[in-house]
Amino acid sequence: MRVGIVCPYSFDRPGGVQNHVLGLARWLARAGHAASVLAPGEPGPGLTDARTSGSVKFTSAGQAVPVPYNGSIARVNFGPLSAAHVRRWLQVGQFDLVHLHEPITPSIALLALWAADVPVVATFHTATPRSRSMQVAGGALRAAIEKIDAGIAVSESARRVVVQHLGRDAVVIPNGFDFDEFADGAVPGEWDETTGSTGVSQSLAHSSRGGGLRGRAGGRPRITFLGRLDEPRKGLDVLLAALPAIQAGLSPSEVEVVVAGQGSAPTMPGIRVLGEISDAEKVALLQSTDVFVAPHRERESFGIVLLEAMAAGAAVVASALPAFMDLLRPSTEPAPSGATDPSGLTESSGAREPLGRLVPVGDADALAAALVEAVRLPRPELRRRARAYARGFDWDVVAPAIVSVYRAALAAAPPATRTVTGPRRSLRRGAAG
Amino acid sequence: MSAVEIVGLAVIVLLVVGWRLSWLATRLDRAHTRVERRWAALDAALVRRAQAALEAARSGSIDPASMLLVCDAAAAALEPDLDPAAREQAESDLSRVLALVSLPAVEPYAERAELARRLHNDAVVSAVRLRRGRTVTLFRLTGHATEPRAFEMAAKGQLTWPRGFVG
Repeated sequence: MRVGIVCPYSFDRPGGVQNHVLGLARWLARAGHAASVLAPGEPGPGLTDARTSGSVKFTSAGQAVPVPYNGSIARVNFGPLSAAHVRRWLQVGQFDLVHLHEPITPSIALLALWAADVPVVATFHTATPRSRSMQVAGGALRAAIEKIDAGIAVSESARRVVVQHLGRDAVVIPNGFDFDEFADGAVPGEWDETTGSTGVSQSLAHSSRGGGLRGRAGGRPRITFLGRLDEPRKGLDVLLAALPAIQAGLSPSEVEVVVAGQGSAPTMPGIRVLGEISDAEKVALLQSTDVFVAPHRERESFGIVLLEAMAAGAAVVASALPAFMDLLRPSTEPAPSGATDPSGLTESSGAREPLGRLVPVGDADALAAALVEAVRLPRPELRRRARAYARGFDWDVVAPAIVSVYRAALAAAPPATRTVTGPRRSLRRGAAG
Repeated sequence: MSAVEIVGLAVIVLLVVGWRLSWLATRLDRAHTRVERRWAALDAALVRRAQAALEAARSGSIDPASMLLVCDAAAAALEPDLDPAAREQAESDLSRVLALVSLPAVEPYAERAELARRLHNDAVVSAVRLRRGRTVTLFRLTGHATEPRAFEMAAKGQLTWPRGFVG
């Protein structure tokens, strides 16, 4: 199949949608499909292997422009020049279908929806409704939404938004990730010294030895935070507020707190700030982490980082955000044998214990208590269960489900019978057909 | 000097001071009124700009991504009961979007809004200067009237106020 995938956000910076698009494109290429990705900007240094990974063809839609939208700043492409880029990409690509991500944003995904004359599959990533602009934009936007042949939502919450605000149904297929990348070599309680290949990874692997409890990396137990340090919604401030209580429950020789991510953080005694780290370093860090902490405050649409932590064998302590609760309190889990086949899923009873500890949002004291308990009580059995559950989100499980949706969309709307719509036709009221 | 002459002098001084205070109070009153009228005009001009933007965006002459941007910014600016800081931010955002999305029909409304803003801020500067004068402050002639505030909007095309990024 020739698949054209459109990512509305630039690869210049890391983001959930971008990672999803890259992961999916690489899997499709390895599975023998012709996958092309259109996105703003150029891929940053951490993602340059996207250009050479398999036969994924990457096309830039031009530099993204920062613009206010929906209360934040979005970096997107719009306007006649971008629309022309999109049309050219579609013409050259000769795709069997296009897969758009977050199409109801002022971006190339929406422009591709407008100009596409092949079946369209759309994936909705966010669970926050954007009703203001949609209400006001009215009929023109509705026409674009009608062009979507099949909708995918990454979570039940995202699906609800699609149903309520767009009036369309969507299949729930979760975000995928590369399970083996995070799980290889990481067995709770063991540490493979050969996996740290760069100087930085080596220092990530080894925390200084201290008395008392022993962490997976051989030194002190490690609590890790990953995320933008200066973005309030990532919740670093909650962790920092919890530090005194953590240090009361565990002496500094008994625990190491590591913080990694872009942005600047206040230096506080007792935490190790790593700043921005590469993907390989992230894997090494998670594999040497005993307790992964996710104190996010709001607007997390999926929380794939929790799955990455679980795959790497870390215990998880997270805020009780809907997305995190969906992941840590799943309604189905793999059968105890660890089968990855979806038909091997068993219904968990409601009383089954969550795969990680959940704490109220913004509650520093509860966070501290949960972290201290998680460090003192490692619970390897729970971590094995979590790891088996995370395996079900590997691309080898998720991507085939997406391909089924592709086939369904193709079967329902053969290209030959589609009318050509696009800039000349769809938005002009009263224009001749 | 005799007692009569002292009293006479005191009366004259009091009359002069009284006259000056009353003159200042009148000027203050006029300054405040001018600010109010100019604010009403600015408010109306901003509303018209946002409405024009909305209409132009929905007319079908621009691509849907640009349309969404304009609709979002215009709707935010038309939101009722915004406090001054929020209003400034919303109108600045709309200015930014209008600088990036070419909508010729909105140009005249944007120009009128900018002119109204400059007139308003000019009146505010005058009123504040008057309010902060020595005599006015000493005799508390402003009473309960709050100090007027200039309406700051980003110059065309500038992004203001750091906010979270998406994408």
